[in-house]
Amino acid sequence: MITQHRIRRRMATTTPILLALLLLAFVALTLALGDRAAARMASETLIRVTLVVGFWIFAGNSGVISFGHAAFACVGAYVSAWTTLNPAMKATLLPGLPPALAEAHWHVLPAALTAGLVAAALALVTGAAILRLSGIAASIATFAFLAMVNTIWANWTPVTGGTSSVVGLARYVTPWVALGWAIAAILAASLYAASASGLALRATREDEVAASASGIDQYRHRLLAYTLSAFFCGVGGALAGHFIGVINPDGFYLSLTFLMLAMLVVGGIGSLSGAVIGVLAVSLAVEALVRLEKGFTLGTATFALPPGSQEIIIAVAMILVLVFRPAGLMAGREIMLPARWVTGRGTSQN
Amino acid sequence: MAKLGIHDLAVRYGKLTAISDLSFTVAEGERLFISGPNGAGKSSLLGAISGAVPAAHGRIEMDGDILSGLGPERIARRGLSMVPEGRRIFGGLTVQENLMVGTGIRRDRAAVADDLETAFTAFPILRTRAQAPAGALSGGQQQMLAIARALMTNPKVMLVDEPSLGLAPKVVDEVYDRLCSLQALRGLTLVIVEQSSTRAARVGGRMILMRGGRIVADGDAAGFAAADLLSEAYFGDPA
Repeated sequence: MITQHRIRRRMATTTPILLALLLLAFVALTLALGDRAAARMASETLIRVTLVVGFWIFAGNSGVISFGHAAFACVGAYVSAWTTLNPAMKATLLPGLPPALAEAHWHVLPAALTAGLVAAALALVTGAAILRLSGIAASIATFAFLAMVNTIWANWTPVTGGTSSVVGLARYVTPWVALGWAIAAILAASLYAASASGLALRATREDEVAASASGIDQYRHRLLAYTLSAFFCGVGGALAGHFIGVINPDGFYLSLTFLMLAMLVVGGIGSLSGAVIGVLAVSLAVEALVRLEKGFTLGTATFALPPGSQEIIIAVAMILVLVFRPAGLMAGREIMLPARWVTGRGTSQN
Repeated sequence: MAKLGIHDLAVRYGKLTAISDLSFTVAEGERLFISGPNGAGKSSLLGAISGAVPAAHGRIEMDGDILSGLGPERIARRGLSMVPEGRRIFGGLTVQENLMVGTGIRRDRAAVADDLETAFTAFPILRTRAQAPAGALSGGQQQMLAIARALMTNPKVMLVDEPSLGLAPKVVDEVYDRLCSLQALRGLTLVIVEQSSTRAARVGGRMILMRGGRIVADGDAAGFAAADLLSEAYFGDPA
């Protein structure tokens, strides 16, 4: 006999597969347009999927909003730059790098993995202090962490180049590369959510007192999720750097934090599908706005939105979602195959 | 040896003293009711035993091991489980997920499936609603879920804070029926905070009457009504 629980578990395993197929279809469609701007938009969107799904691993399961995840992207981007840039270029741009990094000229894949690992290590150390705090205090501490990382990066000129940009990163991030990492992030996120630690962390999100009475060590599970979460934000940062080819600390500061939060809120923080759908919805809306900002011609008149209006419109969209659909577009639900498809016999148990 | 021993316990919130000089022991397999008026310190007592509230003074022992000073999650791992006041189920998780949360700390993973079956047999409604969000259950069903969830940690001692709070009398009967049969089945030691001493007398067991943070009477629950100790505790001069 197949129990309802088994059916539900099988349905849950279809979620990452369906999300991966959705992203695959998205890439195929945008590439079919044959438009270079559309291909760029696809890569950018998929990098954001990696970032936001990474962010969701922590924020979605723990219910603690972090403002610090853009800092992990910042660290990831610079780690990848330090390890992959041409040594001759580093000698002039970043004279303060230690010899091992100054001479490094790695392949981009180990560099991306290292970017994730360094971000994760930083999360493990800082999280050990921050995550002992309760809900809102922890959120504010993550914001302080973001400000610290940004200040250090903007002033540690010999190593980071300071506020001037680091240029010349190999631009290897095609839509397919970005798709690969986005799918990896989705798989990791759904494996974590299905694990005992994921369940324990969601229990603390619902009720801290009852969770500790059930023997759950909230701090340990939060720290694990925070570390895993930072890994994918670190990788996402590296991808973002290699997508544009130019990085500077302010590219990974308040506007990225805002964008990641807006995407998660619009899609719905309560589910992995919400994180992915939020990125797609906001990215497509932004793309439409960018085209409007450039202006379009209708008959003899040219219409254009004033520059900078996209941030305002994203903010308004976020507020509207909070007012009219507070749990986000997906409202905590996952995209999954219906029960009768996974039982294999076409019989519904419900 | 007593299963649970409380020695000279004091609990303070700032300058306010909730419990002072409290001592008693609970034997293995015993059913102990804690009763008394609002502000008597009943919930503070359970909080101190379960580790949720720090003790200002004194010692709490289970099987001779000292529990005081450990956090609630470590006390739960030692086999002391708490059904908190107001149930505090995980409303956004399914009924089955609520039950599985408590099993994360267990080493005997193989026995978990058996215990899940036991919980479903004791509370058939939980099996029916296993995949429903726990927040959608009625008050009585949530109380049963909270009890079943506490059982899933495989406790030796279970503390239950006001299980009858906000429930219809018929539902309270049902909750106590299940609680007593589970106690018999698992050899649990039960400590229950219960406002209604007539209810405690009907269910049967030992009863401790508290007032102003102290014990004013300790004896068989059925004897309390007759001895008029209750009105003394509620309306008499403060000790």
